[in-house]
Amino acid sequence: MTEPLLAVDDLRVAFAGDDGRTTLAVDGVGFALQRGRTLGIVGESGCGKSVTSLSIMGLLPKQSARVSGSVMFEGTDLLRAADRTLRDLRGDRLAMIFQEPMTSLNPSYTVGDQIAEAVIRHRGASPREARAHAIEMLRHVRIPSPEQRVDDYPHHLSGGMRQRAMIAMALACDPQLLIADEPTTALDVTIQAQILDLMRRLRAETGTAIILITHDLGVVAELCDDIVVMYAGQVVERAPVAALFAQPQHPYTVGLLGSIPRLDQRRDRLAAIDGTVPNMTAPPPGCRFARRCPFADERCRREAPPPVEVAAGHMSRCWRAPLEHLVQ
Amino acid sequence: MLPFLGRRLLQLIPTLFFVSVIIFGLQQLLPGDPALIMAGEDRDPEVIAQIRAQYRLDQPIPVQYVYWMKGVLSGDLGESMRIKKPVLDLVLEKLPVTAQLAGMAILIALVIGVGAGIVSAVYKDTWLDYGANIFALWGISTPNFWLGILLIFLFSVQLGWLPASGYVRPSEDLRASLASTIMPAFVLGNAIAAVLMRHTRGAMLQVLSSDYVRTARAKGLLERSVVLKHAMRNALTPVITLGALELGTLLSGAVLTEQIFTVPGFGKLIVDAVFNRDYAVVQGVVLVTATAYITLNLLADIAYMLANPRLRS
Ligand SMILES: Nc1ncnc2c1ncn2[C@@H]1O[C@H](COP(=O)(O)OP(=O)(O)OP(=O)(O)O)[C@@H](O)[C@H]1O
Ligand code: SF4
Ligand SMILES: [Mg+2]
Repeated sequence: MTEPLLAVDDLRVAFAGDDGRTTLAVDGVGFALQRGRTLGIVGESGCGKSVTSLSIMGLLPKQSARVSGSVMFEGTDLLRAADRTLRDLRGDRLAMIFQEPMTSLNPSYTVGDQIAEAVIRHRGASPREARAHAIEMLRHVRIPSPEQRVDDYPHHLSGGMRQRAMIAMALACDPQLLIADEPTTALDVTIQAQILDLMRRLRAETGTAIILITHDLGVVAELCDDIVVMYAGQVVERAPVAALFAQPQHPYTVGLLGSIPRLDQRRDRLAAIDGTVPNMTAPPPGCRFARRCPFADERCRREAPPPVEVAAGHMSRCWRAPLEHLVQ
Repeated sequence: MLPFLGRRLLQLIPTLFFVSVIIFGLQQLLPGDPALIMAGEDRDPEVIAQIRAQYRLDQPIPVQYVYWMKGVLSGDLGESMRIKKPVLDLVLEKLPVTAQLAGMAILIALVIGVGAGIVSAVYKDTWLDYGANIFALWGISTPNFWLGILLIFLFSVQLGWLPASGYVRPSEDLRASLASTIMPAFVLGNAIAAVLMRHTRGAMLQVLSSDYVRTARAKGLLERSVVLKHAMRNALTPVITLGALELGTLLSGAVLTEQIFTVPGFGKLIVDAVFNRDYAVVQGVVLVTATAYITLNLLADIAYMLANPRLRS
């Protein structure tokens, strides 16, 4: 295989709390992404999906977050790069869209201004060129009458339109990698479908590699090539989508998929699994999932399972993997 | 926007009416009879009666009010009993002095207060932040008169750089005018700067952790544009309104500060008038001050609307 576009290795993020205790939000996460491919990241709320993507972008608060590991992007280690280098990459080669379209745009500037800004910053465009480009981008994300919308303030737009504007902004400089952190969670179901459809079409047009963070396994099945399942700050399973749906190799994934995982049936939410996530200020010594795992035994509670490759490109962090003999 | 302005202007009428009634009513409570004061040592009953008749002090208070209001509406604020000059002339003579002082004070407060607020928010929990907070605490807790005396002692008595008192008009000599007003303006602006700094810091901290600032950073903008363009605009709009509330502090502070630096402005005019029971002057000055305060607040509201696209349309 060729050199991946993005390679995350042993990423750890700890937050220093006000009370002096540290929370381990991300603990040894690793994955790689080839150019033009789409990687899905799924997992329950709080498992570290946003923190992982923000550390790739270098957007975590410097005072409280301690980040280690490495994030190689086009030959640069983003975790060790100078702020200048990161700023030059962000919005140009690397872009991100966020979960909250209602608050992610600045209420004081028009959407056109906010898109044009990125073009001026990275392409050295004149304000006039940047504005024309902003209109072009709005058309690109299928916002009707872009010549008018370019002068609208965010409060004039609906949630779906704002998310389109965010996508236009993120794609304005034709990035190699787009991180979409739950881009549709805050939207109505019909709007969700439209935005996903848009992303699919844009991906086909631009060939941008995408990291798609979502709660929706149906979306993963439809859009992604590979999938990373996170639990309590760790990657517990990583595989090509078809393999993961056909043969989940971690009990947590099995739980997420429910009894019969089906590619043609969309689930809006991950299946509920009994029990709660461990406290990450003092994670348990053994497997993080042990308290909720139906297959847990003594060893699971005592020792943390290492990641094992159960098939080519299919990783699971479970003592019992491969699970074939457990799930019928 | 326009209906809003119309409504605000209409609201001015009852507000000013109410203010005028209070001004008029309150000073009736002042002890001492102006006629007695004016009649001098002899207290000749005839002279007193004549003064009472001339200034309508013998009429019931509501009647006096109506006469006064009639004059005010036709641009006549009455006549000073003591100096025998029209109040309007006195006001027009002193207003520019206080306006200059207040303007410079606001400028000083904005530059120091907003500047320190932004710096302390951007460099939160560093010595710059602690320094700015200590400055703010000092500014809020330092009495005007004490700071005034301190400045006079340092810059006039010890260093001899600035005049300790007096006032020069800018039209006469701009440099001398600035020299004569910089200390009182600093004293006035200092307390407001401290309050503005606190507001600005709080608003900036909130805005700096907002989603749209994260978006601005995700675009790769320079930290300068993130702070000065994306964060500051949103942080400063509420500060405009809060700052306008401080204008009251400014106007009341001017009274004391003008006394300390013997600047012949509104403050000095009103203090002299109160001591001499010069009713017409007190009423006139307070009415003009109240109008100025209300107008400045209205301007602040308009500025707030203009800065806020959600309210503009
Ligand atoms: N700035 C921060 N300071 C301290 N703790 C943080 C910070 N940001 C996130 N965390 C903690 O890190 C953990 C992971 O959070 P993260 O936002 O990555 O979860 P997530 O997987 O994105 O969840 P969701 O699906 O709800 O978005 C959480 O326990 C959260 O409380
Ligand atoms: S290691 Fe043990 S507890 Fe953890 S997922 Fe596997 S079987 Fe369950
Ligand atoms: Mg998240």
